[in-house]
Amino acid sequence: MKDWLDARIGYREAAHVMLDEPLPPGTGWFFTLGSVLLGLLSVQLLTGAFLTLYYAPTPDHAYDSVRFITSLPAGRIVRGLHHYGASFLVVALALHMLRVIAFGSYKPPREVTWLSGLVLLALVLAFALTGYLLPWDQRAYWATVVTINISQLTPLGGEIVAGILRGGATIGALTLTRWYAAHVIFLPAALVVLVVAHLFLMRRHGISGPVRSHTGPSQAFYPFQASRDVTVVTVVLIALLVWAWRGVPALEAPADPTDATYVPRPEWYFLGLFQLLKYFPGKWEVVGAMVIPGIAAGFLALLPWIDRGPERDPRKRRRLMTVVAIGVAGVGLLTTLGWRDSPASAAVGDTWTLREIGGRAFVQKAACSKCHSEDGVADPLEGMAATRTLEWIGGHVADPEMIAPGLREAPTVVHEREAAAMVAYVRRASRQPYPGFPEQVETVGPIFARYCVGCHKIEGDGGTEGPDLTHAGEKHDAATLRRWIVDPELVDPDADMPSFGDRLSAAQLDAISAYLAARK
Amino acid sequence: MPSSSDSSSLRGRRRTLAIFVNTAIACIGGALTALVGAFALRPQSGAAAGARWFRAGTTEDLKPDEPVPRVLAVSRVDGWYRERARQTVFLVWDGDRTIRALSATCTHLGCQVRWDAPAKKFRCPCHGGVYGPDGAVVEGPPPRPLDTIEARIDPKNQTVLVRI
Repeated sequence: MKDWLDARIGYREAAHVMLDEPLPPGTGWFFTLGSVLLGLLSVQLLTGAFLTLYYAPTPDHAYDSVRFITSLPAGRIVRGLHHYGASFLVVALALHMLRVIAFGSYKPPREVTWLSGLVLLALVLAFALTGYLLPWDQRAYWATVVTINISQLTPLGGEIVAGILRGGATIGALTLTRWYAAHVIFLPAALVVLVVAHLFLMRRHGISGPVRSHTGPSQAFYPFQASRDVTVVTVVLIALLVWAWRGVPALEAPADPTDATYVPRPEWYFLGLFQLLKYFPGKWEVVGAMVIPGIAAGFLALLPWIDRGPERDPRKRRRLMTVVAIGVAGVGLLTTLGWRDSPASAAVGDTWTLREIGGRAFVQKAACSKCHSEDGVADPLEGMAATRTLEWIGGHVADPEMIAPGLREAPTVVHEREAAAMVAYVRRASRQPYPGFPEQVETVGPIFARYCVGCHKIEGDGGTEGPDLTHAGEKHDAATLRRWIVDPELVDPDADMPSFGDRLSAAQLDAISAYLAARK
Repeated sequence: MPSSSDSSSLRGRRRTLAIFVNTAIACIGGALTALVGAFALRPQSGAAAGARWFRAGTTEDLKPDEPVPRVLAVSRVDGWYRERARQTVFLVWDGDRTIRALSATCTHLGCQVRWDAPAKKFRCPCHGGVYGPDGAVVEGPPPRPLDTIEARIDPKNQTVLVRI
């Protein structure tokens, strides 16, 4: 049977070519990193291919489809493997490259193998960049805004490069399909071709082997070196699985181009570059964005011609090793500084704002829950992915006929700020269940969200025309604040603030002034 | 020149390592296949959509024993996609307390039937299926009567509700 098959497809010959490569004596654990990369790339290709079963590359649905993937039986793990696999890949790539540099493996006749490896590095970073946008959450959207703005710094034709990356006039549907196509079609095709070329070249010249020749017979790749490769690959993949098992990859709020409070933060392996930009403000920005990374890339590309001698032992190539060590330390330092410098992503609103608390009252008042409930015609508001824009939701609450003809009551007029508060509430509630607040806060929430938020800020949320009220109680007591709100001109003839004495009830006035006076 | 015991120990080592390599690769491959298999094969478990009661007008809109088509907007969850599908039902009212709702979907190949008022029959435009006012097959290829949908009249305000 085996003979029959071999006579037709020649698998023994193929297996011999693939597996029986003689390796120089002393080939050891350092030479397993290439197989680790191959293993990690295979995991990325496999999980990526399966993720496309459910992913939808449109701004309307990308976020929902990623949420859906996470809700599937193995979805959290598959997405976790793909997400964290990218980080593992970057680390393994860096180690593989450092091994090649330390062992002088790029020396003749392996210069083209080295260059193909550098192109693979660029491809992996392009994968990371394009993949980052696909979940279409805040993080994805804003990181892409920054990337595309950096690309505009390209000397000669920055706007053309940015236009190619963006697809349309703004970052939106055309950007998403473009980056998706790059991520799942063009880049994988290029990757497969280059990996095959890299392996072909590696086999053509044989591996470079240990820096000092060992005595002894050469050993076949299989099963001797293969057992080392498989051991390391297994350990790495188990580590990746544990990582994916423990942590759900972050999915933040849906992308919101109008959000001015969001602080973009790139994936950790781009943090160094991100940090570098901070040291070159204004017209010097191009130095941090293009010149320094360009010099580093040029240095790596020219390395076989910079480090020319036949000597491969790193201990006898001290000067080059020093330069490389400084480079690695620089990247490490910049990444660490970038890590410390960027705000913890949780710091952006782990607490409910007064506007969000107020939004809950409006949602209940406008009888949203009549339809949006477990047994209503629409889905409950809590846990819903609020991917619509403020304009859409404003239209929805103002004109129900637009959404579901015949199903809704006549519209009640909703003020623009009330709609904004409702949106804020729904967005928050989709991430975090309502924890409940003291009665005073729940009374003040809707008042603040309806009347004050346009001009005043509390804890970072609100307008800037009036003073920040976060610590309003430090200077004034409740009685003064109440008089001020009832008729500002009585307290200060030059006050710009309108009077609210006829718009708020006595109970509301008491509540808001007591609340503000308590803010010290 | 290796002795014969050396070469046999090398052969033994070779065999052990080959078993180890093959087993490890089989385990990794098997685990990944099981994982993506579970991921690919069981998408529905997330969404178990139950039937809901929908308002389909009042008895004032209806004539006794005359099927009246109503188009309902039904919210449906299809994986990550939430849609408001339009679905036609025919309401048949007996003039008093009883209401029947018939699906407009022909039981033959799924086309939408129409009410032919003069002939008092439902006609399917696709393959000539004809149903009586009660949904029973009169002629043509349909294998069974039109599907009935649970329906009731709310006695308080004469609202017709159907369960979809």
